[in-house]
Parts: sequence; structure tokens; C-alpha cells
Amino acid sequence: MIGGLFIYNHKGEVLISRVYRDDIGRNAVDAFRVNVIHARQQVRSPVTNIARTSFFHVKRSNIWLAAVTKQNVNAAMVFEFLYKMCDVMAAYFGKISEENIKNNFVLIYELLDEILDFGYPQNSETGALKTFITQQGIKSQHQTKEEQSQITSQVTGQIGWRREGIKYRRNELFLDVLESVNLLMSPQGQVLSAHVSGRVVMKSYLSGMPECKFGMNDKIVIEKQGKGTADETGKSGKQSIAIDDCTFHQCVRLSKFDSERSISFIPPDGEFELMRYRTTKDIILPFRVIPLVREVGRTKLEVKVVIKSNFKPSLLAQKIEVRIPTPLNTSGVQVICMKGKAKYKASENAIVWKIKRMAGMKESQISAEIELLPTNDKKKWARPPISMNFEVPFAPSGLKVRYLKVFEPKLNYSDHDVIKWVRYIGRSGIYETRC
Amino acid sequence: MPYLGSEDVVKELKKALCNPHIQADRPRYRNVIQRVIRHMTQGVDVSSVFMEMVKASATVDIVQKKLVYLYMCTYAPLKPDLALLAINTLCKDCSDPNPMVRGLALRSMCSLRMPGVQEYIQQPILNGLRDKASYVRRVAVLGCAKMYNLHADSEVDGTLVNELYSLLRDQDPIVVVNCLRALEEILKHEGGVVINKPIAHHLLNRMPDLDQWGQAEVLGFLLRYQPRSEEELFAILNLLDSSLQSSSPAVVMAATKLFLVLAKEFPHVQTDVLVRVKGPLLTACSSESRELCFAALCHVRRILRSLPGHFSSHYKKFFCSYSEPHYIKLQKVEVLCELVNDENVQQVLDELRDYCTDVSADLAQAAIFAIGAIARTYTDQCVQILTELLVLRQEHITSAVVQTFRNLVWLCPQCMEAVCQALPGCEENIQDSEGKQALIWLLGVHGETIPNAPYVLEDFVENVKAETFPAVKMELLTALLRLFLSRPAECQDMLGRLLYYCIEEEKDMAVRDRGLFYYRLLLTGIDEVKRILCSPKSDPSLGLLEDQAERPVNSWVSEFNTLVPMYSKACWAAISSPQVSEPHGPEPSGNGVLSASGSLVSENKEERQPLCDSGSFLLLPNGQLTAEQFEKTWLSLEVAHREVFPWQGVAHPDTIQTALQMVNIQTIALSKAGVQPWKAYFSAQDGAGCLFLTELLLDPEQSQVRLSVKQSQAKAEALNSFISVLKTVIGTIVGIKS
Repeated sequence: MIGGLFIYNHKGEVLISRVYRDDIGRNAVDAFRVNVIHARQQVRSPVTNIARTSFFHVKRSNIWLAAVTKQNVNAAMVFEFLYKMCDVMAAYFGKISEENIKNNFVLIYELLDEILDFGYPQNSETGALKTFITQQGIKSQHQTKEEQSQITSQVTGQIGWRREGIKYRRNELFLDVLESVNLLMSPQGQVLSAHVSGRVVMKSYLSGMPECKFGMNDKIVIEKQGKGTADETGKSGKQSIAIDDCTFHQCVRLSKFDSERSISFIPPDGEFELMRYRTTKDIILPFRVIPLVREVGRTKLEVKVVIKSNFKPSLLAQKIEVRIPTPLNTSGVQVICMKGKAKYKASENAIVWKIKRMAGMKESQISAEIELLPTNDKKKWARPPISMNFEVPFAPSGLKVRYLKVFEPKLNYSDHDVIKWVRYIGRSGIYETRC
Repeated sequence: MPYLGSEDVVKELKKALCNPHIQADRPRYRNVIQRVIRHMTQGVDVSSVFMEMVKASATVDIVQKKLVYLYMCTYAPLKPDLALLAINTLCKDCSDPNPMVRGLALRSMCSLRMPGVQEYIQQPILNGLRDKASYVRRVAVLGCAKMYNLHADSEVDGTLVNELYSLLRDQDPIVVVNCLRALEEILKHEGGVVINKPIAHHLLNRMPDLDQWGQAEVLGFLLRYQPRSEEELFAILNLLDSSLQSSSPAVVMAATKLFLVLAKEFPHVQTDVLVRVKGPLLTACSSESRELCFAALCHVRRILRSLPGHFSSHYKKFFCSYSEPHYIKLQKVEVLCELVNDENVQQVLDELRDYCTDVSADLAQAAIFAIGAIARTYTDQCVQILTELLVLRQEHITSAVVQTFRNLVWLCPQCMEAVCQALPGCEENIQDSEGKQALIWLLGVHGETIPNAPYVLEDFVENVKAETFPAVKMELLTALLRLFLSRPAECQDMLGRLLYYCIEEEKDMAVRDRGLFYYRLLLTGIDEVKRILCSPKSDPSLGLLEDQAERPVNSWVSEFNTLVPMYSKACWAAISSPQVSEPHGPEPSGNGVLSASGSLVSENKEERQPLCDSGSFLLLPNGQLTAEQFEKTWLSLEVAHREVFPWQGVAHPDTIQTALQMVNIQTIALSKAGVQPWKAYFSAQDGAGCLFLTELLLDPEQSQVRLSVKQSQAKAEALNSFISVLKTVIGTIVGIKS
């Protein structure tokens, strides 16, 4: 259970403080500020113990969220709850920033009152919360009978995630396959580790209680865990390195997935995350980064970086940014690039090279001369890796949506009447090449 | 912490709240109330406007009501008499037609922490428990727990408890989970909510309806349930199988723990479960949620301790990325050094070598120590890497490498030659106390093989006046004396100077005493000195530095998915040890890793205390029985628990006796060491007067021990606690191979 929840800005000023249990005193608020936010050294752990009280913290931009407890709790749950809280807040007012929190502090207190009681998590589904905590606040005398009963049915609904009697004139659904591709590559171009973590997000505006069936291509090999007996895992465990793992929203019937590998569910209304998965095999790496660093004497460095796009020429990658770190004692940088814009940013110790768009199977190159100040520091420059950001309109894991069928036997619309949209977005996660 | 000028602010707020014009203008009124809350958040004491705020609670605006109630819950303990005025409004709201208003009022009323409120809230809570809106029932159920918490010493109300038990069958999932939570708190002194077969099965059936928090919590409660038969056990495991695949990490972790606990008699099932959660754990370890990733890594380390090869093929997943936070990198380094095997050792070492030159000195040192740990198995490769690092001439690197060498030379004497060749030149790059101590120790012990050892030590002797660390001076004294024994000609003069300095000029008493001691020792003659300083060293296999080898899964399963894996051992021991007095100021947190040199005795304590503290199970210190009483009781009772577990090494009666004495288990009779078959009898008594009689029977041929426990009252929970205490103690003794 959670004894209290505090939100601080980057200076350590308290923006929100809500105490749920007697054993957490006001001094806990100050203890965290003094020991963690104002501490000089790096954060040593997301769980800090101060005077027998455990502080779990999460940082969002420069906002600190801390959950406090004196009990021996389940750490994963507390962190998950903090993430959930961030999601709920983001669903109400967008980005979690100091200004937004200050402007919405009444709303946040309302939410905190609702999602935790006596330190125990209660209903935290954004959809359900939005029916009774609106931005303006509900006024009891204006409320119609119908609205009231709607809230009650939402709050008591048998299926926690969907209420009855939803009606849309246009039945529509949107599927987003969002992936983030992570790579760690050695200077020689060898993949040290790579994985894709993806999500299928569905936005549904469907009437009634529709039964949906989702199908994807068989490229993702979902290793059926637990099927293998002990000796099988012993033998095959070493070849099949990619243990891919996938999880579903609560609404998906897992028994059906296990037996027939079919994903069927009654979706919540509005936006939700249908599934989450991870793949490690046969990943399409959208970009290759080939670095070349040459040290010319003690005061000069020559850097040449080539990026190659590795996907269909008809597709366009966007928001490409390559970040080439420079040593701390850099005095001047000359950059020449064939495409896009490159700038040396002294404050970030890096050359930032931005390209708006790049088609597949192309190549581009940047070369830079870095002048160094002579130092007597014996420390060798650690050469941080070159990192990259981009967005591509396909799924680097190779996932494809084959179908999404909708059945609603009680209402008179069929699968053909539903307008469906599918979109693939691949983004870079941690995409680093060592140099 | 009142801020300067807060009095004026409060006065102004009070004036604004009283102003009838503002009261009439609803947005402005609400705005003033918001300011009150804002000041409350910042820590200003705004309790003096309590009266005005109570008035503001009589409104139709729900948001305003919520704000006022939040205010009242905060300040009610300070103004109990005024808070009573608010109860009237709250009671009225409890019968509002809108369920949201009813719920809100009831929740706030139960949260008022002041004496005497109980009589007012009892009736609304009882009504709330039977409310037709589940929203109100959820609030009312937790209200019971709040009410009980206010008067923790009052009698437990039997009818209320029964009502709560019956609400476990409520159709709303959150009400069900809240009932469990409330019962757990109300029945804390009786060991919490009872999970019997019908309740357990009911909860299992409701699992799919619950949200992630509910599922995680219910899985925790199910830990208490002991299935009657093997069939039932496996039926439960099958039912819960989907929980292992949940998208919520909290549920996966809770399910894993439940599986491991339920299958504690079936090691192969436990292994299967750990294989199945490998995927989710690896996902969590590479997830973008840093904090969850940290939690997962901590648990991976636990698992690796029992199954060292478990993640070996996935070693690449634990390579650090440049942009990851510091705490994750440190955990990953620890994981890497634990999953090394013949196939991946080269890659892991290559990777760790990269970290040794990291900008963060902390990470660099952690990586070096990790290589040192790997060196216990793959000595040559590691020593070569470490030697190459010395070329960099960086202070923090050299210091860490030399410390690693010191530990290594003791455990793997075969690498001594390589180390001795690497040492010359290091002294220029070491500034910190730990590094200097390690270097001086190495020079003292292996000085005869390092040509320039006396000259290095001479430099230290020259600069001893400027030396700031007493520990370094102590080490220097011992080392120089040792080196004097092997190379007298080169050392005699400076030993004289050092002794003179320590005895005549040194201000630190410990150093002075050590100096005097050595001086007097030298007076007794050189043979005597040799006999004392160069007597055989302790056996490295004692396992002081080395982590205990593979621990069975059952030894940590009770700590799985709690805070224990998240904190370092030392830190956890500090938290869980019984509190003497409440510290006033916040203590600095225990930061960092338990140094490997923690003494044996304290390590024993750390292991035991959390167990004794957990729950309310306590053994009485004076439960001594005479041998006759014991025998009589032993014969009259049935065996309540029988178990066989592996046992290596010899039993030392004294060690066992003292160790058990510390947890208040008395020894009745013991065989002498070495006698076969070896037997021992123990007795203990818990707070409720229940006697536990124990027999240990050691079978040296199959290297296992048979444990039988008899109990005077049939209480399964107490029995389990007792057995876990006993097994931990025995496990500790066996672990240190005394």
C-alpha cells in the first residue's frame, strides 16, 4: 500500500502532496527533497530508504513523482502505479510539466482521491474516471437522471472496461502499430544487441458490445513458453536466442490465444493498448551508421560518418537526427554534410546533424574536423557512442496486420460497415553505434 | 515548515472566506478555497481558517466539496472540536441521492483522524456496506479498516468481520479486493484474513474480472493458502497460468512468487516457472521504464544466485547502453559477472573492459570489481585485462585494480606471479585510502618477489606524517614488519624510523598502540615475531569473500517481489532491525554495496532478523523444558511436519547450539560431533504458548538431514513460521561450512 504521494518540481518545491496513511508524516515530504532531489551525487536507485521509509520515485521531464510507504511492498506494483498515474494525468491535460500541474492541481487532487483510497489502488481506467471527473467538475443539481445512471453503470459495470449502450453514427476504428527499434552496434558494424519493442494501439468508436478478432502475419515467432519440457529448453534454448514475449490488454481472451493463437476481445471504448510485444530476430534495421574517427596529433580529430538507409526506396524516413559526440576540450568544429543541416552544439558536446526526409536505399555522409585545446589531462576521451533518432513508416519487426473483424450480433451493422484505418510507425529507441 | 509572512496570508484568506460578496460569487469563492489548499500543499499552517472552511462545505459544487474535505482530513486532528461541526454536513451527504456524493462524504468522514469520530461513522459505514451502488460499497469497506485503525486497541467487532467476509462474494471486483485489504488490517493481530478452501476457490474464479492491482493483490493473499492435495495444487497452477502472461509486470511478479511458493516441494516445477518468466523478465529488463527495469534486474540477480546459467545465453541483453541511468548500469554489471560461462566469457569480459574506462568513476570501479569476481574462475584472462588497465595511470582505475588484486591473490594463489609483475609503478597513481591499503598489504605479504618493494614502502614511510588515513598507517606497520622478516637488510632502518614516529609522534591511539605492540614483539626476539606474523593464514575456502554458492530457490522465495531484493543487504538489515527509538531527523540512507569484508557474525544477524520480524511470530526467550518434560511431550504428540533437505559438511554442536539460542530455540540434547548417526533435539515456545519440539537426524551417507517437528497446538501458520526460522538458521550454518 502507498502511504503518500508527492509531486515536486526540479527545485524540490512541493506541487502536490497527498497523505493516505497515518504513519507518513509531513516531514517525509522534506526528507525526500533533502536526500534525493538536492543530493549532490547521481541518483543511486529509484528506491530510496530514508529513516525506515521507502521512497519510490519516477521522473517525467523535470518533475519528480514520489510514492512513499513504510511497508514492505511489491516494488513493481508501486512503479506501475506511478506510471499509470502519469498516464491518467497525461490523458487529462497532456504533457506532465510544472505549469500543467500547477494549473490543474485541483483536478490532480480529485484524481488522487479517486484512484487511491487508504493507500490502495482503486479504479484507474481513464475511460471510467473521465465519466465522473471532468475538467470542470460535475455539479450535482445539473446532472440529469440519465447521466447519473450512466455513471453508476460504468462504475458497477460487469465488464470493467466497457459500459453498455454506447452508440456511434459512424462505426470507425484506428489501429496503430507503434514500434521502437533499439540497437547497440560495435565500431566494426557488428550488432551487439538489437530488439524491437512494439505496441498495437487501438482507437475504437464502435456501437454496442462488439466482438473483435485481430490477426497478424506469422512472421513474429511467438515462442510458446511452457510448452517445452525441461530437456527441450536445454537443447533448443541456445539456438533460439530471441525469446519473444507478448502481452495483451485485459480484454483479450487468453485461453483462446493459447489454444488457437487467435486474438479476440470486446474492446474498451476509445483508445487503449491492445498488445505489447518484443522481437529480437530478423529485425530490419532502418539505418546503418558507419563511423570513422581519426586522431591527427593531439589537437585535431577527423570524423567521418556515413548513414545508409536500408528499406524500400518508395518509403520516406523522417525526423532523422544523428548525434556525434565531441571531446570536452573541443575548441572549434568545421562540418561539411551532403544533405540536411549540421551544427556543433558546444553545450551538449556534440555535432547534431538533422535531415528532414530520406528515402530508402540512399546514403549520406558528414565529415567534420574537430580542433582540440591542448590539455595536460591524461584521461583519454571515452568516446561515447553515436546515437540516432528517426521515424519510419513501417514496422521494423516486420509485423503486419492481416485483419481486424468486428461482429456485433445485436445491432444491425456488419464488419463491412466499419471504417478501419491501419498505420505503422517505427521510431528509434536507443539506437547507438560505438565509435 | 511555516514560511515567512505566512500569517498575513492566512489572515487575508480568512477575510476573503468571510466576505459575503465572495461567498455569493461561486467561482471566486472556489478560487479562494483553492488558494487555501495551495498553501496547505506548500506546508503553510492554514488550520486557523477551519471554521470558515467548514461553512464552505455546505455547497452543491462537488469540486468545492472535495477541496474542503481534503482540507478537513488534513487538519481535523488539530481541531477536533471544530471538525465535529462538519460531521453534520457529512452525514447529510451520506444519504444524498447521487452515489458519487455519498461515496465522497463517507470516504472523507472515515478519513477524519480524530478521537470520538467512531460513534458518528459507524452507522453510515454499515449503511454504506449495503448500499446499492458499488462505488459506495467500495468506500464503506475500506472505511471499516480506517475506523479500526483509529482505535487499534478496541475489540474486533465480530458481526462487522462476518459482514466483510460475506462481501467477498460481492459482484463488484473492487469491493472484493477491498474486503480482503480491510480484513487484513482489522485482523492483523490474528494473522490477517483467513483464506480457506471456499474463499481461495472463489478468488481464483474471480481473477479474470479484476484489474491489475486487484490481481496482484489477490495473488499475494493466495500465498497463504495451502492446497490439500497435489491435484488441487496443480489445478490452481493451471488456473493461474494466464497470470504469468499478464501485461502488467506487477501481476507477473506476484504470480511468479505464488507459483514458486506453492511448488516449493516440486523443484522441477519451480525451474519450469522460472523458465517461463524469463521472457517477461527480459522484456522488463530492456523496457523503457527505467524504474521497472531496475526492479527486474534486482530480481534477475536473485534468480541467478540459484540458477547460475539461467540467463547465460541472453548475456547481450545486459550490455549497458550509453544513455541509461547510472543505477541500471551498476545493476547490469553485477548481473553480467554472475552469468558468465565458458561460452560467453570472452564477450562479457570485452564488454566489461569497455566500462572500465567509463567517465563515471563509480561505474568504472564496479566494472573492475566485476572482472575481479570473474577472475575467481577465469583467472588468466582477467588478470591480463586488469594489468592492461594499469597502463592508463588513472587514479580510480589503479586503486580499484590493486584492491581486486589483493582479494584475488588470497583466493587464487596461482596468479601471484602475474600480480607481482604488474605492481611496480602503481604507487604513483593511488591516492585513496582503500587503494593504498591494498597496495601496502600486497607489498608486505609478497614483498620478497617484488624487487622494489622496500623502496615503495620507504616512500610511504617518508611521507607518513602527511598521511591522513590511520588505516593506511596501520597497514604500513604490519606490511613493513612482514617485509623486514624476509628482507631484513633493506628494511631495518626504515622500520626503526616508522616505529619511532608511531610511538613518539602519532596522535591516533590505535596506530600508536599497534606501534608499541610491534615494538615489544620485536623485543622478544625474531623467532617469536616470525611465529606470530607468519603462522599459517586462514583458509580461503572459508567463504568469507566468496559469495555463498548456489542457494536453493526456496531460500529467497519469501523475499521475492518485496523490497528485499531492491535494497542492498546491509540497508535492508538496518530497516528491518527492531527499532530502539524513532529517529527525529531523517537519517542518511545506506548508500551502496555491502563491502565483502562484512564480518561473519553480523552477516548471520542480517539473515535472521528480517525473518524474526516478519509477521507477529515470536519465540519466547525462556521456553526452556527439562529433558524429562521434553521426552514426555515428544512421545505424546504426532509429527506435524517432516522434511528432508541436503546437508554438506560436519555438524558442530556448539555452533548449532549458539545459533539457535539466538533465535530462542533451546537445545535439549545433542550428539557429539562426528558421531553417526548424529541426532539433536530442540524445543521452543511461541507467544501464544504453543510448543515446538524438533528432531534433527543427520544421515552422512546420503548427505541429507531429516527434520521432524511436533507441535502442542495445531496451528499451521505458526508451524510454518517456526520451520522457516529453523531452516534459515540451519541454512546459514551449513552455508558457512563451519
